[in-house]
Amino acid sequence: MIRIEEMLLNVGPQHPSTHGVFRLVIKIDGEIIKEATPVIGYLHRGTEKLAENLQYTQIIPYTDRMDYLAAMTNNYVLCHAVETMMDLKIPDRAEYLRVLSMELGRVASHLVWWGTFLLDLGATSPFLYAFREREMIINLLNELSGARLTFNYMRVGGVKWDAPEGWIEKVRDFVPYMREQLKGYHQLVTGNEIFMNRVKGIGAYTKEDALNYSLSGANLRCTGVKWDLRKDEPYSIYDRFDFDVPVRESGDAWARYHCRIEEIEESLKIIEQCVEQFPSDGPIMAKVPKIVKVPKGEGFVRIESPRGEIGCYIASEGKKEPYRLKFRRPSFYNLQILPKLLQGENMANLVTILGAIDIVLGEVDG
Amino acid sequence: MIGLAKGLAYTLKNLTRKKVTYAYPNEPLPLPDRFRGIQKFYPEKCIVCNQCVTICPTDCIQLTGIKHPDSSKKGKKIIDTYDINFEICILCDLCTEVCPTEAIVMTNNFELAEYSRDELFKNLEWLDENDENIRKVNKV
Amino acid sequence: MIQDLLISEPSLLNATIFLLLAVLFLFVVLGFVTYAILSERKVMGLMQMRIGPNQLGGRWGLLQTVADVLKLLLKEDTIPKLADRPLFIIAPILAFAPSFMVLAVLPLTDKLQFADIGVGLLYYVAISGITTVGIVTAGWSSNNKYALIGGMRAAAQMISYEIPLVMSLVGVVLLTGSLNLNEIVAAQENLWFIVLQPVAFLIFIIASVAELNRVPFDLPEAESELVAGYFVEYSGFRWAMFMLSEYVYMFAMASLTTVLFLGGWNSLPFLGFIPAAVWFALKFSAVVFLLIWIRITLPRLRSDQLMEFGWKVLLPIALANIMVTAILKELFPNIF
Repeated sequence: MIRIEEMLLNVGPQHPSTHGVFRLVIKIDGEIIKEATPVIGYLHRGTEKLAENLQYTQIIPYTDRMDYLAAMTNNYVLCHAVETMMDLKIPDRAEYLRVLSMELGRVASHLVWWGTFLLDLGATSPFLYAFREREMIINLLNELSGARLTFNYMRVGGVKWDAPEGWIEKVRDFVPYMREQLKGYHQLVTGNEIFMNRVKGIGAYTKEDALNYSLSGANLRCTGVKWDLRKDEPYSIYDRFDFDVPVRESGDAWARYHCRIEEIEESLKIIEQCVEQFPSDGPIMAKVPKIVKVPKGEGFVRIESPRGEIGCYIASEGKKEPYRLKFRRPSFYNLQILPKLLQGENMANLVTILGAIDIVLGEVDG
Repeated sequence: MIGLAKGLAYTLKNLTRKKVTYAYPNEPLPLPDRFRGIQKFYPEKCIVCNQCVTICPTDCIQLTGIKHPDSSKKGKKIIDTYDINFEICILCDLCTEVCPTEAIVMTNNFELAEYSRDELFKNLEWLDENDENIRKVNKV
Repeated sequence: MIQDLLISEPSLLNATIFLLLAVLFLFVVLGFVTYAILSERKVMGLMQMRIGPNQLGGRWGLLQTVADVLKLLLKEDTIPKLADRPLFIIAPILAFAPSFMVLAVLPLTDKLQFADIGVGLLYYVAISGITTVGIVTAGWSSNNKYALIGGMRAAAQMISYEIPLVMSLVGVVLLTGSLNLNEIVAAQENLWFIVLQPVAFLIFIIASVAELNRVPFDLPEAESELVAGYFVEYSGFRWAMFMLSEYVYMFAMASLTTVLFLGGWNSLPFLGFIPAAVWFALKFSAVVFLLIWIRITLPRLRSDQLMEFGWKVLLPIALANIMVTAILKELFPNIF
């Protein structure tokens, strides 16, 4: 007698393409996914709770560990929140260094995404090509901040280090090199028919869905919503640069792929202009008291991280520790649409959809 | 088929390009001066101000001081014990940043694997003897 | 010599000679597998801006695979508690044995061949189909969900790609008028079949990559989806058997491609002074390099696309190729 039964399959937490310790319980009928339930929290460290007992300077190394692929933006969002509440004026040179490091981080983060996404699709080489370029960025940031991943570079009121000698020139040389490599990426992957068949029309959602699920970053822009905080709510010195916000209409993995690849190009544009305008002299720290105390009250800032809108909410009682600290972690919000996207999909599309969302588990679990 | 052929051409072109991997561990990794490795401690410079202990985000530093043996320097202290628990140190650089006398500085030594957790408990003697690849510039 | 043995009276001496020859050949094949894996890793490394194995056995890492095999053989043999024990043990053997059996009919040169069977091509295709059974058995007996999906995918894929594979060969058989591999090579003395049958060659290469379970058709063991597919529960020497069968098939498939389309051991014009064995080795290496190169470059297909591609694209083209070949042969009997 034939018995038909749905199969319950645990994808993760130890699975090569869940990008960390992410678990997905899926019910499959043959190779068709009937239901998907994400299980998160394997990497939860309680950053927000820990922060309640830490001085503001001490929280910065913890933010490095949330979105570990673009730690600079995380550093920035906390410093930006504190500075906004303290009403600090940041010296120009520090702002340029911050923007440079953040945009380099964005390129590095998108490169990791590009490599791992293609690795999920079964192509091994792009991963290594992407890491070749990422290694150069990491080396640049290592020279600047003294660490390869957990930079702990920004401080309330400025940055820790000034640019070392010759660093700006190295960044300037990197931009044309990276543009050349991007052409190679397009040659290797973008026109590949197998790749197109794997991503076109996969994991598509509408503009309304994206807004309802409060997606942000490339996940939102792929549906045609032109929303980039660097343009729409300029923070830091982003209003001084000329760049575009890449947008696609179709809302599928193919659109997200293009948004991210083009974002690399736009970031390179910003880096180029940043190097040109880089002030030759000036302080890198504002006048900040030795122990940072945020005035009593609440504040929220949001900036554009490589994964979307990262926000930081501080409730302060005027002490040197925050009363409550909350991060709006974009990966966590972007992940919420996953069960909806996976319903009725082929098992092989699971990795495509999950990969195209671009999550970082350190950020999802907080 | 054109896209596939283009991709094949790209990988073939890379066959003869210069390789980018490091020869680590046969050759040491070139690291910038600012790189943050395990700390070096100068006991004679320490004034037991306790700032590094306060600033450490993971509470991995413990120190005790005793009264200065030279009775003319009243109220001053010298360091007695200084321990860093390297199981939880995250090499964030904050201790060296706050140190007023640069008694604790970073080195470029990053090969810290040990067979036992006990060996990750670094005491004053260990940190004092750790005097290779010390960072030259510690403060801007 | 072997031909004489084959037709002689069966005796204990004959059996011993056959056994010894087979063991000898097994070691030759093992040698190939060792260096095929090494060259794959090396070429892959070089194309990906790495160096590849360079620690063991000099800067070319000549002993790396030997060390890997040694490690696999010395590893603890684990069988999952809830696995179907007899099937679990027999599956690697079922997968490996046919891959070695097909080598018997492949003519490496006009003298270097084990068995000159009249229907050598048919024998190859028929025997190689048995491996699918081994793979499905492995997937089923592991009692693991990923392995089961992998095994099912393997069955579907290998069966549906066997058909275009065979159909693409019919064109070659039509031109030669024989299923004997020696005669197929002899028919290519003047013109290789890759020139006369380019479409068949293309279909054959695609279908053979699918048969070999290599990228872009490595769905049964798709690492990023199914972890390792049908051999997810295997380790140690049982796992090594699967890997071995995969690479022995690579050897067999590359030889078969050379024999069927690249003129076997026939030389290019005016280069006849180079020995036949060298010619064969050169063409064979080119095919192996092509397989490695494809693996490095391309992403994986999706299972439903794979099926569609096999049944809706490859099969009709292969059938059309047969028709065209037959018509051309009738119209221009001098060329074809």
